[in-house]
Amino acid sequence: MPVLELREITKIFPGVRANDRVSLTLERGEVVALLGENGAGKSTLMNVAYGLFSADGGEILVDGKPVRIRTPRDAIAAGIGMVHQHFMLVEPLTVTENIILGHEPARLGVIDFAGARAKVVELSQKYGLKVDPDAKIRELSVGVQQRVEILKALYQGARILILDEPTAVLTPQEVREFFGVIRSLVASGLSVVLITHKLDEVMEAADRIVVMRDGRVVGETVPSKTDEVGLARMMVGRDVVLSIEKTPANPGEPVLTVSDLVVEGSRKLESLKGVSLTVRAGEIVGIAGVDGNGQSELIEAIVGLRRPKSGTIDLKGHDITHAPAHETIEAGVSHVPEDRHRRGLVLEFDLAENLVLGDQGVAPYSRGGITNPKVIYQTARDRIKDYDVRTPSEHVLGGALSGGNQQKLVLARELGRNPELLIAGQPTRGLDVGAIEFVHRRIVAARDAGKAVLLVSMELEEVMSLSDRILVMYAGRIVAEFKAGEADAERIGYFMTGGGSKDAGPSSDTMEGGAA
Amino acid sequence: MSETHEHIVVEAWWAKALRIAAVPLVSVLLAMAIGSVIIWLSGFDPIAAFRALFQGALGGQRQISETIIRATPLIFTGLAVGFGFRASLFNIGAEGQFIMGSLGAAWLGLLLAGLPTPVAIPLILIGAALFGAAWAFIPALLKAKVGAHEVITTMMFSWIGLYLSSWIVSGPLKEPGSIPQTTMLSSNVWLPSFDRLIPGLIPVRAHLGFVVAVLLAIVVLLVLRRTTLGYSVRAVGLNPGAAENAGISIARTTVYALCISGALAGLAGASEVLGTNHRMFDQVSAGSGFGFTGIAVALLAKNHPIGVIFAALLFGILQAGAGTMQLETGISVLIVQIIQGLVIFFVAAETIVTWFVKRRQKLKLEREEAVDAG
Amino acid sequence: MLGNLLNPDLFASALRLATPIALAAIGGTICERSGVVNIALEGIMLVGAFCGVAVTLLAQASSVAFIAQNATWIGLVAAVISGVLFSGIHAFGAITLRMDHVVSGTALNIMALGLTGFVLTILNGFTTGRNTAGASTAVRHMLNPVFDFATQRSGNFLQTVWYWIDGVFLSLTPIAYIAIIVAVVMHWALYRTRWGLRLRALGEHPKAADSVGVRVIASRYAAVLISGALGGLAGANLSLEQVGSFSENMTTGRGFIALAANIFGRWTPIGSYLASLLFGFAQALQLRVQGVEFLAKIPVQFFLMFPYVLTVIVLAGFMGRAVGPAAVGKAYEKE
Repeated sequence: MPVLELREITKIFPGVRANDRVSLTLERGEVVALLGENGAGKSTLMNVAYGLFSADGGEILVDGKPVRIRTPRDAIAAGIGMVHQHFMLVEPLTVTENIILGHEPARLGVIDFAGARAKVVELSQKYGLKVDPDAKIRELSVGVQQRVEILKALYQGARILILDEPTAVLTPQEVREFFGVIRSLVASGLSVVLITHKLDEVMEAADRIVVMRDGRVVGETVPSKTDEVGLARMMVGRDVVLSIEKTPANPGEPVLTVSDLVVEGSRKLESLKGVSLTVRAGEIVGIAGVDGNGQSELIEAIVGLRRPKSGTIDLKGHDITHAPAHETIEAGVSHVPEDRHRRGLVLEFDLAENLVLGDQGVAPYSRGGITNPKVIYQTARDRIKDYDVRTPSEHVLGGALSGGNQQKLVLARELGRNPELLIAGQPTRGLDVGAIEFVHRRIVAARDAGKAVLLVSMELEEVMSLSDRILVMYAGRIVAEFKAGEADAERIGYFMTGGGSKDAGPSSDTMEGGAA
Repeated sequence: MSETHEHIVVEAWWAKALRIAAVPLVSVLLAMAIGSVIIWLSGFDPIAAFRALFQGALGGQRQISETIIRATPLIFTGLAVGFGFRASLFNIGAEGQFIMGSLGAAWLGLLLAGLPTPVAIPLILIGAALFGAAWAFIPALLKAKVGAHEVITTMMFSWIGLYLSSWIVSGPLKEPGSIPQTTMLSSNVWLPSFDRLIPGLIPVRAHLGFVVAVLLAIVVLLVLRRTTLGYSVRAVGLNPGAAENAGISIARTTVYALCISGALAGLAGASEVLGTNHRMFDQVSAGSGFGFTGIAVALLAKNHPIGVIFAALLFGILQAGAGTMQLETGISVLIVQIIQGLVIFFVAAETIVTWFVKRRQKLKLEREEAVDAG
Repeated sequence: MLGNLLNPDLFASALRLATPIALAAIGGTICERSGVVNIALEGIMLVGAFCGVAVTLLAQASSVAFIAQNATWIGLVAAVISGVLFSGIHAFGAITLRMDHVVSGTALNIMALGLTGFVLTILNGFTTGRNTAGASTAVRHMLNPVFDFATQRSGNFLQTVWYWIDGVFLSLTPIAYIAIIVAVVMHWALYRTRWGLRLRALGEHPKAADSVGVRVIASRYAAVLISGALGGLAGANLSLEQVGSFSENMTTGRGFIALAANIFGRWTPIGSYLASLLFGFAQALQLRVQGVEFLAKIPVQFFLMFPYVLTVIVLAGFMGRAVGPAAVGKAYEKE
């Protein structure tokens, strides 16, 4: 009898069926990988199992008996534990406090800290998850924080462990350790569901693979009967065309020159430890790397949102090392931000007002502090047409557009400024296929028009297909450089995950932007 | 955000106006309803009360003048608080900036007594605005530099300003005698009352300050809509991350916005000194509350400058009529303050409630669509 | 001259004056630790002060002997209950309606001002009076020599110590003692009990707390209501123990100073108490300054200003270094 069974689960969000009659079983002692692209519905399904979402249809059975899971408390009571992609840890509290939260050993309300600590140490030794029970979470590396999360689930008595994208921010050493932990957990009788989109890890760790696409289960297999290509085909539904049509690059003069850049991140630790790179006119330089290795800080430093500690940034002869955002914009830097809702658009502004963000003070949009609505709105109409932004008018509010159209709007604005340098951070995050192709084509067109383009993306396929040169960032440094076509995904991935670099161990001082 | 962007509907401008005005209107009605309940519970007749109120506010030329004269400072403070809100700043200390503006007007009014009116009055107004802006400057700086919450700092400055002006009015600027007030300003620095400007009007107290206030509201609207400063203020208030990314300095915009807010509140003080009282009183004994009422006005008007005019007039009606209400029915004027607080609560709460209602409707709609499609 | 200032009475006075601020500040600590900003402390204090006096007067006039004799204690309980109820409105607005916490709090402050003033006039039957007619319900001398310490020791040093302890600590009113106890107990509870741990998690990362089964909404409500109780108590201290009557707007900004004290005290109960002592000290100084010649020449308004100036200085100096609970002021959304 399966230890966990999800039967015909349906979950609907505004405008989208995230789960459409999905069924899944998990046997005791088994590792099932739940595979799918962004938006396939795998996280949603497991959030339903854990009680964070309420299902609109279907039922959940544990050990053959139906259970009602409406809150995480119910799930925990049923023996289901979950480690989320974004850790549910309280930073200022200690490891022990985080682990016992919600299930504190107490007498009359007073916590038995000694007993709690002892239990944490016991669990930690039993499962080989080394942690310091008294350390504060904010002092720990992401890999250790993940261990705390797992210990938390074990402390709560989980027999079924759900792990959501667990290796997204781990170093290769930590990934190896992680798989060891999985194996020992399973040996102790736990059953594991692994939510992931990493094909190689699925092949390595899973006993069974369930593939989801567009809210449905589209296939089930075992590693021995398939390979990464086959899995990819199941995930995407067609043979994945990875490369976009483009002519070879014709790079000109250097536009951006970064030398020995050292930048402190938000925790007063160095996120960039001496980065140097050059981007020429008419070329796309792509930075490949796992999120949280300094890419965000690099972009922020260039654009002027973060002051570098040392080093220089030069744009065609102008020193913009310490230039604030408005100066870099004036100097010719355009930026498509990684988070378009937080940095890219003002959702309550209409499209025209969004399109002048960054240029609101310059002619012809305004003169002497007074804006010129006629020019602003006319330009908006032109750009909306040019970039195929689907909207009834330019007076619509930014928040009313779909994600793809919002991104097209941002692109329209940034490219419309005719910059020298375009920095694109995760430019196709959360977009559908059509929008992705559009954005890619525009970026290549910008390159062909002689712009310098710096692309930062977590999607390796995107970096590989668009870039003329690929730099790999790991732990705040550039650890490898390739020309387009010179290396394959495996080789780049090796460097992305720290292979071959001097500090190939778990490093506690770089994991900042990632999981939290 | 919903992926079904084809469903974007662009509202007609009048539909939009109606939708925006609905929440404040309902809030006012609700607040008055609860006020009525309180009146009734205290043993009085609500209908008689409100009738007396409206009679007292709009019943005749003198009454309307009273309404206008009460509304005038509220337009200024409503604009002040509203402008701050646009930048996501809560200028609860408008009261203190009002006091400092009064002080500045009184002092300058005494100083510039010799100048001809068309020269003196604009100078005094500018001076009072600067006093108000200066009083908001340190809280603005503290917010921009160390993130000190402007609610606490401007509140503290309100008290500091209260005592400071109290000392000045009872000391250096005091009129000889026992009453803590300044000397009466000479008539050439008075804001003329309407009966001096409009022939055939009976002597009224309402003065040119009202016109200045209305014009200022239009100016503020233009600044918000048609200047880069206004654009920056709105951007910072709506999404500081995006504003920063666009090169807008959040720190600088914060300081500008709060100082402008202070200046507007300071002008309220000038209007009162030059037009209504022609002198300044010690506020400790005769506090005004214009700053706090300004908060209610701004919220009711959804921070829209033209809305502020109407909201201020509404509160002017409430306050002008309250005196008559007390006289005729014996109900304390403080009921108006209760209604004020209720209005704030309901306006802010209503926004959320309507959002809830809309969201539930939207969810329901999409659920039905999804069932259709699947 | 300065010797006139530095006596136990000054410090005792500081403790007394600090009490309402401290209670409100600790209430603010608990509330903000759960993630809710409570600007309404001022209004809650006012409501508590009012209800305390009103109910005391009603109880004193009662024909039941037990009620009449314990009128003040009954008034105190009424003050606490009124604080809880009033803060409940803020809880509803901020948590359930997800209003902006500051707006909700300000609305309540304005309502409190109007309500207390309004009901004041109703109760007295005349509409122009502002103070309750000389209701001297001061309990301030109730515990005056509570502990009968015999100073039999002959050593001068020990005598001075006893003199100071006696002067500073042994002539306080009940609520002042309660404040000290509350500070210690709350601090211990925050760090050593189940409730405290969950509260701290709530304000930093409500989603994490929710994910392990902590009831976010209920806990936040509880925290706001506790701060309401403490605020009501603070008001009772003000009206029943310090002044002996209720007058319009008698809190004069103490609720806001309490917020600053909380920040200064790093969002801990004991810290809030000690920070409030600072403000109490400033006020105590201000009251005694007339006795010191060269200071008496400065106009009284400058001394009245002093606590507020101090608050600004504290905020200016300490905001940058003090970081509050990460999720404070943000509404919590469950999917």
